[in-house]
Formats: sequence, C-alpha cells, structure tokens
Amino acid sequence: MAKEREPRKPFNAKREAKLIPGYIILILWVLFTVVLLGWVFGASFSTTKEIYKGTALQFQSGFHFENYVKAWNGSHVSTYFLNSLIYSLSSCVLLIVICAPAAYVLSRFKFIANKVIQTGFASAMGVPVIMIILPLFSLISGMGILNNVIANKALLIVLYVGINVPYTTIFLLTFFSNISRTYEEAAAIDGCPPKKTFWKIIFPMAQSGLATVTIFNFINIWNEYFISLIFANSDSMKPVAVGLYGMINSMKYTGDWAGMFAAVVIVFLPTFILYIFLSEKIIGGVTGGIKG
Amino acid sequence: MKKNKSMIITFLAPAVILFCLIFLYPIIRTLIMSFFHITGVTDPVDKWSFIGIENYINLFQTSLFRTSMMNLLKIWFFGGLIVMSISLLLAVILTSGIRGKKFFRAIIYLPNIVSAVALATMWLQYVYSPKFGLLKNFFEMLGLESMSKIQWLDNEHKFMALLLAYCFGMVGYHMLIWTSGIERISPELFEAATIDGATKPKQFRYMTLTLLKGVFKTNITMWSVSSVAFFLWSQLFSSVTADTKTITPMVYMYSKVFGAGNSVTEHDAGIGAAVGVILSIFVVLVFTVCNKTLKDDDLEF
Repeated sequence: MAKEREPRKPFNAKREAKLIPGYIILILWVLFTVVLLGWVFGASFSTTKEIYKGTALQFQSGFHFENYVKAWNGSHVSTYFLNSLIYSLSSCVLLIVICAPAAYVLSRFKFIANKVIQTGFASAMGVPVIMIILPLFSLISGMGILNNVIANKALLIVLYVGINVPYTTIFLLTFFSNISRTYEEAAAIDGCPPKKTFWKIIFPMAQSGLATVTIFNFINIWNEYFISLIFANSDSMKPVAVGLYGMINSMKYTGDWAGMFAAVVIVFLPTFILYIFLSEKIIGGVTGGIKG
Repeated sequence: MKKNKSMIITFLAPAVILFCLIFLYPIIRTLIMSFFHITGVTDPVDKWSFIGIENYINLFQTSLFRTSMMNLLKIWFFGGLIVMSISLLLAVILTSGIRGKKFFRAIIYLPNIVSAVALATMWLQYVYSPKFGLLKNFFEMLGLESMSKIQWLDNEHKFMALLLAYCFGMVGYHMLIWTSGIERISPELFEAATIDGATKPKQFRYMTLTLLKGVFKTNITMWSVSSVAFFLWSQLFSSVTADTKTITPMVYMYSKVFGAGNSVTEHDAGIGAAVGVILSIFVVLVFTVCNKTLKDDDLEF
C-alpha cells in the first residue's frame, strides 16, 4: 500500500488549469455512476406507473416505503438476506482462523514445502471456477447431504472458505512479513513458546491487515454467484445474489418494477454501507493481495 | 527446531487440506475427466469410458461451442482494450495531483462492490430500457431522435450492450491496480525528467509506460481470469437458454452438465470438463505470452 505522498500544494492557477481536462473526465464518469445508482435508489421509492411515465424521481404520490416491505416479506428476500449474512460472517471468521496461522508460518519459517505451497496458492487465484466445479459436485452429491438444510448450509460455508483460502493466505503473508522479527526474539528470551507468541503478540499486531482482508472477503462472499447457483438448490438456502436473479426473472411476469428496484437496493445496501465507511481499507485490500 | 515442526504442521494443516480438497484434487480430476466419455457428472468412475481427445475434437466441431469461444475472445479482446485504456487513463488522471483524489477513486471503484446481479439489473432494466431508459432520455435530450429509438437489447445490439455494461463494472478494479503501480514510481524520477526538459506526454510514454510493464502483466492476467469466468452477465442478458449472441463457454458448460435448459441436447460431463481445461489453458497461455514478451528489465524504481 503506497503512502500518500506530498502535503497539499498551495493553489496554483496555472498548474490547476492543466488539470482541467482530467477533472472533466473524472466528473463525467462519477456523474454517470451517481445517476445510475441514484436513479435506481430513487425509483425504488416510486411506483411502477410513475417509472413508466418517466416521472419516477418526482415522487408525485409521495414516497412508497411499502415497496421495501413488500420486497422484504414477499419472495423470500428476508430469507436470502439472512442466509447471505450467515454465510459471509461465518466464512470470514473461519478464513481468519485458518489462514492467519498458515500465512504466519509461511512468512517466518524455512522448510521444503514452503515455496511449493506459496506457488500453489498463488496459482490457485488464477484457476477458473469451472475447472473445479465438476468434481466438487460429484463429491458432494455422493455424500448425499444436499437434502439436509443444515448440512447444505455448512457445506456452502466450507466451499466459500476453501475458495478464498489462497487469496487470504497470500494477502496475510505479505502483511506478516512486514512485522519485525524482534518481537518474537524478545518473547522467546522471556520464555514464551512460539505458538503462544503468535496468538498473543503477532496476531493482535496484525489487526489492520486482518480487518482489510475480512472486509474484502465479506464483499466477495456476499456477491458470490456461481458456487451458490450450483449448490444452493432450494429457496431456504439461497444467498441474495442467486435469490435476486430468480426474482428478476419472475418480475418479468408480474411487472412490479418498483418492487424489483427495491429488491436490488436491499441486495447492494450492505456492501454499499460497508464501503461508505471503509472504502480506504477495501481499496487497500484489492491491491494488497497482488504483487504488481 | 522440533517444537517448530509441530507448530508448522498444526498451523498449516487446515489451509493446506482445504486447498487440496477444493483446488488440487478437483483440478486433477477435471483434467482426467476431459479424456473420458461421462454422461452424468455424478457417474461413478467405472461408468467412464476412455476416449482420448475425442471430447476436444467434438467441442471444436460443435458450432455452438465455437460461437461461445468467439464471444469470449471478443469480450476478452475488445473489452480488454476498452477497460485497459479507460482504467489507465483514469489512473493517470488520479495520480496527476488533482484534488479530491480519494473521493474520485472511491466512486470509480464503487461498481465493483455492488453485486453483479444488482449491477446488471440496473443496466438492463434502467439504462437500456426502451420505455424510461437513461440512454433513451439522454439522446432525446440531445435531440438525436434516431439514437434514442435504438433497441439496445435486440439481437443486433445485445452483445455491445452487454460488453459496455460489463466493462463499466470492471474499470474500477483495474484502475486501482494501475494507480498502485504508478504510485510506486518514485516522484523524484519525474522531477529529474522535468528538469531535463521532458514534456508530460513524453514522460508518460517513456517513463510511466516502461515502468508499468509488471503492472500491465498483472492487469492482463486478472482480466483474462475474470473474462474466462464470464457467466452471470451472459445469463442475465440472454432471453433464451442458448442465445448465440451472448453465450460464453462457461454458459455452454453449465447447460451441458447441469442442464439448465432443454435445447442443448443431452448431458455430457466429459465435454464440460474439456471446456474447463480449454479455458484454463487459455489463461496459462495468456500468462506465459505476457511473461515472455513483457520481461521485467530489472528496472529498479
């Protein structure tokens, strides 16, 4: 993560003038993004009739919060939402518990398999999901747990965790390498065993890295689509992404556009709110896992 | 040292076991499956029959698969061109010392954190809508009657509409990779160049671009990885199961193995595995070509 350089330079008209084309491009791009998201957000409080008349954002008949109530209660959105929440949160916790120790060991100790594991994990980030999905499917349906709701949910969590192990480990590995070894040396002199040193001293020190990768994992798992499509067969197990897809397809027949936009907002709101507060951390998480 | 050994094993075991279970074993098995005739994906091994490379030959003789590969290549090439140039342009602007850099950067990256289903729905149901769409209203405002009447989602324009919407969602991610690369170049280099009389465009051409080779490699690789997995957007933009305008290999494989629809003949898991292998080879190929042609010249910066 690059440091922010240069303190703000004093206003210099000539220098700023050169930047004007840049500002124009940025503002146009941002404007489009804001209009796109803003309109959908606005339309979700409107009515289907007004959307069709093109007066969605004038709210002539007031704000229709009932779109949200309808979307939340009807068509299983609340179930999808809670499912996604459970999947994302538990996967994130498990990922940290599994990957932090692994990354630490890989960053600190020299042993034969070290390089092999690192290379394996790094290459796994480039493996298309289509390359692993078929054996996983036959393995899992062979276990015969796709009919049991609890087992199926646990299975989805295992899959989300497994898929994200390589990225999370590689990200944390870079992070741990940057923590000085002097802490362990001091702890060892005081007679603290290495495992305890990790959990009591190094792990808390890595908080900011752990937080970054967790937020990033949360967003990834929240938005995950293909794995869920294949392994979440019934409405009681679907996460929001797959659920929303089904809803949009049925909206084509019922024609409730305002309700559909409300559902879209419900789906993207959690990650959006996270983003508003933590955008710097999330952006750090994107570039942190990749060595340019 | 003995203590360390037990620690290394206990700390690594869960991650490595998961890795073997979810990546290593499936990859090897998919590779093997691609050389067998397998009807159902859950068929036991004794029902498989070895047929060599027949699955691959078969695939390339199927016109629907060839169409899907062409679509993928078009997405990869044209989409890559669009995304790489726009994201590089935005990254250069963002690092040129403008005010509100963090704000702009955050908004440009925003589409990437929105669920792709939600984002695609916004494009489909709002931007391209023939009734109340953003494009329709925009062109009407400009008085371009003919442009405002374009049906963006008809067969003629569908692919372009899909590509544009997808690219919009991807620009933010690649912009971040460029930005982090540009920021790692020491500002002193540019100062020195300015003192020596190099103009800004020249600095960009001879310094930024040369020093960004490594980042370019990362960008191309990541772009290839994500285009190969092109599935959801294609599903959302197509009205029928095997829409030749938008079908991608992944969609083809999905219908071949999991049989979403009816039109695409019988199930065949061996063929599905072969599609996976072909796509993986594509990624490896791109990666290798990038590594060969864009050698890091051991430039220190």
